[in-house]
Amino acid sequence: MRRLVYLLLYILLIQAAHAKEASDNNDEVTFKDFTLNIGDRIDLGDYQMELIEIQSVRDGLVVMRVSKVGGSLDEQRALLLDSPNNFDGGAENGGITITVADIFDEQSAKVRIEYQQILGTPRKRASERPAAALDKPELSVQKSFDKNQMSVGDEVKVTITVKNVGTGQALGIKAEDIPPLPEFTYVAGYPPKIKETLDSGQSDSAVYVMNAVKEGSIRVPAILVSYADAKKNAKSNSSEPFNILIRPKSKADLAIKLACYAPIVLDGKGMLNISISNLGTASATRIEADGTVMPSVGLQVTGLGKSFFEILPGADVNYSAKLSGQKPGNYTIRLKVSYDGGDGSVIREGTAEVVVLEREYKYQYLLLIIPIAIITAWMYRRYREYKY
Amino acid sequence: MLNVLMLGVGQCGNRILDAINREAFGGGGAAKLAKYYLRPKFPSRVETLAINTAINDLKELRFTTAKDRMHVANLHGVGANRNVGKQAFMDNRDMIMGEIEKRGDFDIAFVITSTSGGTGSSFSPLLINELKRQYRDITVITVAVLPFREEGSLYLQNAAFSMRELMEVDAEGIILADNQYMKRFSGDIASAYDKINNMIAKRLLFLIESLDSEMLSVTDLGDFKTVMNGGLRIGTMGFYQADSKNLSIKDAIENSLKPVNLLYPANVADDAARAMIIIQGSRELLDVDEITKEVERLSASAGHVFKGIVVKKGRPKVLSVFTVASAPELESIYAQAARGMQDEKEKRSRARKQLDDAFAHIEDLEEIY
Repeated sequence: MRRLVYLLLYILLIQAAHAKEASDNNDEVTFKDFTLNIGDRIDLGDYQMELIEIQSVRDGLVVMRVSKVGGSLDEQRALLLDSPNNFDGGAENGGITITVADIFDEQSAKVRIEYQQILGTPRKRASERPAAALDKPELSVQKSFDKNQMSVGDEVKVTITVKNVGTGQALGIKAEDIPPLPEFTYVAGYPPKIKETLDSGQSDSAVYVMNAVKEGSIRVPAILVSYADAKKNAKSNSSEPFNILIRPKSKADLAIKLACYAPIVLDGKGMLNISISNLGTASATRIEADGTVMPSVGLQVTGLGKSFFEILPGADVNYSAKLSGQKPGNYTIRLKVSYDGGDGSVIREGTAEVVVLEREYKYQYLLLIIPIAIITAWMYRRYREYKY
Repeated sequence: MLNVLMLGVGQCGNRILDAINREAFGGGGAAKLAKYYLRPKFPSRVETLAINTAINDLKELRFTTAKDRMHVANLHGVGANRNVGKQAFMDNRDMIMGEIEKRGDFDIAFVITSTSGGTGSSFSPLLINELKRQYRDITVITVAVLPFREEGSLYLQNAAFSMRELMEVDAEGIILADNQYMKRFSGDIASAYDKINNMIAKRLLFLIESLDSEMLSVTDLGDFKTVMNGGLRIGTMGFYQADSKNLSIKDAIENSLKPVNLLYPANVADDAARAMIIIQGSRELLDVDEITKEVERLSASAGHVFKGIVVKKGRPKVLSVFTVASAPELESIYAQAARGMQDEKEKRSRARKQLDDAFAHIEDLEEIY
């Protein structure tokens, strides 16, 4: 009996312990995280929690509305990121506590719901409203030179293009194209000016002109464009940096070639071919060619002097001068060419050796042969005279 | 200017004529080449003609032009037979004289010949006759060369008969040269011939030059003819050139008359009939008084002596030409020739007799086959 009593007592103790344990479990505060889009709702007992708006991603403000069936609670509150917000006394007091754990973007955020288990299990109800269109500006920035390679002294045109490729209006647009590059002098249009406001799809560009002053390979830094959306959210974007090459200053380099291919016979005519080639990278202009002959007497040259307006890089001009040999000898023709090579006046010279031959006596060899023949004939004749 | 004709007849005459032509080129070795570029320099207008019946003898000549070599076609010579030679001349007389006539007129002709050969000894007398007949005023001098005595009886015979004929023709004179006499100048026969020929050539050219020169003391062709007409009309020449050690003109004259410098052995003092002394040399070396004295001394023994002085730079040279009144050497030649002919006749008789005796063995026999 006693054993039965003990058994009953033991059972009662066990039941009491279970009851106590069950009561303690119902009061325990628990939590659950939800990722909500605007309009999504969480139902927990009589409580209904709806994400109304991501007010500021930058500031971490999210607006949520909490209501209770029966109308005893209907409150819309801006929640600060990572700050617990109690409703109905909070979870410790049988109410609920909502904390914004993270704001993903302007449409969604992660929230944590704390509650007593007694309230039941929270359930997420997705909003049946269509997702509101995003009002998100996004600027693409491009900085380009009109030429990748240039020479010292060349002008280069820099174009800054900003385009709003986002969905919302971009406000307070500022372009920062710094620092000014020491390899250039800025001629006009710097610093670039871009519209402060660009609607979605709108673009604007600014152009400025620089002059390359120093040779070398240069890395052109990116241009930074900062802006804000309609909610004052500050944003920025930048262009891609790139390299350009500044070569030494372009100059014209004229090469003069004089060619007289054969000696000139005395009192004969000859031709001197003159070729002026521009081996440089810039045009030669105002080319004046004139020549002298040393010694000055004995070789007449006509057509040696010539003028040309321009010789393009890689191009050449050819002309001929007429030679007339009046006195045998060796002559030097010196052609002096002055031109503007892009860096002031330059003088180049070319020379050619011309030989005026002695008078050629075509039958000069006969002077030797004829006397020998005469002597031979004479001696043969005498031999025949004495041959019997 | 004298117009001179020099005819070399026969081999000996041809060679002497060739030597004359060589001297005209300057003589010596240089003449061998000089003939190809020079003309012969004769002191006067000299025409030469070598006449021969033997073509090989004409081919031997080196300084005589081909046109001045005349071949009288008669096989290959006359074989030392004067009769054949005479016939050959007569057969070709017109051709020979025509060839001479082509060369123009002449004042003097030298007929140079050997007396012993075939062609020269037979042609020359006939040729002289023809010359005298064709050229009325011409002076013809025969230069006759006597043979070596050992050359044979036939040559001596030819010399004997030829000399007689030469004496008989109407020439102005004969200048004799005796090979036998001049043989002593040289060792061997060949060089003796050359030396004799050169000696004769030089003297003849000297004579021509002198006769045609302006002289300090004049001798001319007329004088020369007078000299050659003297005595037997047989003469000879002597020559001497003073050496640098002794330039005495007196000695030079005396030396030119010494037998050693004569072409033919003669004693001027005893045998000379007329003489001509031609002296050439630098003016300072020609002492006229001394020359005159020497000529006068010579005249005392030789009768008349013509003298000619030619002023020409150089050592004194003296040419003496004289004719003789007697020629004992010729007589010995004739005697020798006669002996030779007699011997030849006897040999021939003996040979004939021997042959007749041999034939007598078969006199009565007939040929049996």
